[in-house]
Amino acid sequence: MTPRRKKHLTNWGLNALTYAVLIVMLSPILWLIASSLQTRGQLASGDYDLLHPTVSAFKQMWESVDFGKYLTNSLIICTAAALLATAFAASAGYALARLPFRGQKAFGVGVVGTQLVPGSMFLLPVFLGFIWLKQNTPIHLFDTHIGMILIYTAFFTPVAIWFMRYFFLAIPPELEEAAMVDGCTRFGAFWRIVLPSAAPGLVATFVYAFLLAWDELLFVTALTANRAETIPVGIHNFIGNYSEEYAQLMAAGVVSTIPVMLAFFATQRWLVQGLTAGAVKG
Amino acid sequence: MSTHSLTPTEIAPPDPPPPATPKRRSRRPGRHLAYWLIAPALTFMVLVHLIPSAAGIALSFKNLNTFTFSQLFGAPWTGLKNYDAILFDSANPLHSGFVDAARNTVIYTAATVTGTLAGGLGIALLLARQFPGRRTVRTLMLAPYVVPSFVVAVLWGFMWQSDSGIINKILVDYTGILHDRPTWLLGHNSLLAIIIPSIWRGIPLAMLIFLAGLETMPRELHEAAAIDGAGPWRRFRYITLPLLRPLIAVQLLFGVIYSTYQFTIPYVMLGSNPGSDADLIMTLIVRQSFSNNLIGFGAAASTLLMLVMLIWVAVWFRAFRRDLEAS
Repeated sequence: MTPRRKKHLTNWGLNALTYAVLIVMLSPILWLIASSLQTRGQLASGDYDLLHPTVSAFKQMWESVDFGKYLTNSLIICTAAALLATAFAASAGYALARLPFRGQKAFGVGVVGTQLVPGSMFLLPVFLGFIWLKQNTPIHLFDTHIGMILIYTAFFTPVAIWFMRYFFLAIPPELEEAAMVDGCTRFGAFWRIVLPSAAPGLVATFVYAFLLAWDELLFVTALTANRAETIPVGIHNFIGNYSEEYAQLMAAGVVSTIPVMLAFFATQRWLVQGLTAGAVKG
Repeated sequence: MSTHSLTPTEIAPPDPPPPATPKRRSRRPGRHLAYWLIAPALTFMVLVHLIPSAAGIALSFKNLNTFTFSQLFGAPWTGLKNYDAILFDSANPLHSGFVDAARNTVIYTAATVTGTLAGGLGIALLLARQFPGRRTVRTLMLAPYVVPSFVVAVLWGFMWQSDSGIINKILVDYTGILHDRPTWLLGHNSLLAIIIPSIWRGIPLAMLIFLAGLETMPRELHEAAAIDGAGPWRRFRYITLPLLRPLIAVQLLFGVIYSTYQFTIPYVMLGSNPGSDADLIMTLIVRQSFSNNLIGFGAAASTLLMLVMLIWVAVWFRAFRRDLEAS
């Protein structure tokens, strides 16, 4: 075999391997969709009929899980928390990226350091604090949207800061220097020039914080009882009560994946920048 | 790296300060602004991270067993008793439970991080080549990362089912690789049952980071080595891998922390009490704190966990200091 022919064959083999790996990686997701389109009996007996899909599990799931409630709660809490976290991160990230201040390094280390603390560590005191507030003050945070929004805002702000810092570093400083030469204050330059240029970064940070909040289970389990529960708790409760209802569970899984999938792929270009920048650029 | 080089022009004072004039404030424009800008984030971090963490450490020295509020502040201090019970008191069931969970957590974390990095690197090497449909394949490969962890747990919990699950169908009915149907969600297999989905979900992010690294890699080194007669394996071993070291380091650091603190996948797939074969430190802490009201125990175990993470960061820092300075 000539070397060139050998190279051609190797390349062909590697392409085939690439597609095979893709299929393996995607197959659980395809299986999620396929099994959500079957009936309960088909999944229990294993007599799948993939050619005749039915949406019956989606209808049953919507009624038996009270999915509408959980979906509304998730949308409210995750949107509000992601917005707040992005706003706080935009301002703090700008300070970290551009304005040298005393304690800057300590603040930066603190932001990363929050990731070192296990959630269970501050969950207990936060839980006790919420209960104490409820019993002794008119401030009700336990099992409320506000309570969960505040917790998630705090929870995902550090990661969001690191995202925003990267996006600000990528904006040429000449932009705000020019604005300040033209008479803008430092804050004016940040507000009118830098923030609009960082719009993709703001969107990416929002979506990332939203994805993280959407996925959170530990805190929402402990800090809600009934009214402010989100989708992960809803699904977990459902497993507890109807563990054999796999068609409905898969349908719930599909519905709770769609919003984040859409958000991710719509903003994928910037999200990928943010996700890789942290690791690649330090 | 290029982005960092942009900052010095900005940090440098715009004009040389005239000596001995009281205009010091203008030398550092935005010093106060910076504090205003970090204030909201800092407030939240102090209120939700810092103060509760300190309170958590304090709770670990208290004998807070039955959950009542009168006891929260009145609970007696017990010094290191909680730690003693966890670490050394072999007659205490909490001790053996902790030892099992610690062992399982080490296995889970080591396997998940290794699998994620190896899988991510392998796929990144495949996708860094030129091939038809490259862009689409790269986008589609990210999909598992976007499936929420609780959905991952529900989905794989279904796939692992002994009788109706697709995995046993493939392994036993379709291919005959295995003869009797294993139960995946009980006993020895249950740790594997949470490790594999965790790797599956982790691979796309690792792949993304490695791809970014492979793409910024100078081609000349590989070309020169190829001319000198180095085969693909030697080029990978002596050029690609060393250049990816900083990326491996960062992912090791955060991968270990993230996996050790993983709660959703084990909790949703195996329940709050998965048994000694698959109990993890996080599920143990949450179960003892919230189901059994052993709050002092939960706080002490959380503090120990954080100490272990601090040690891990220190070890990591020593091991990869050179890479940090290089990048």
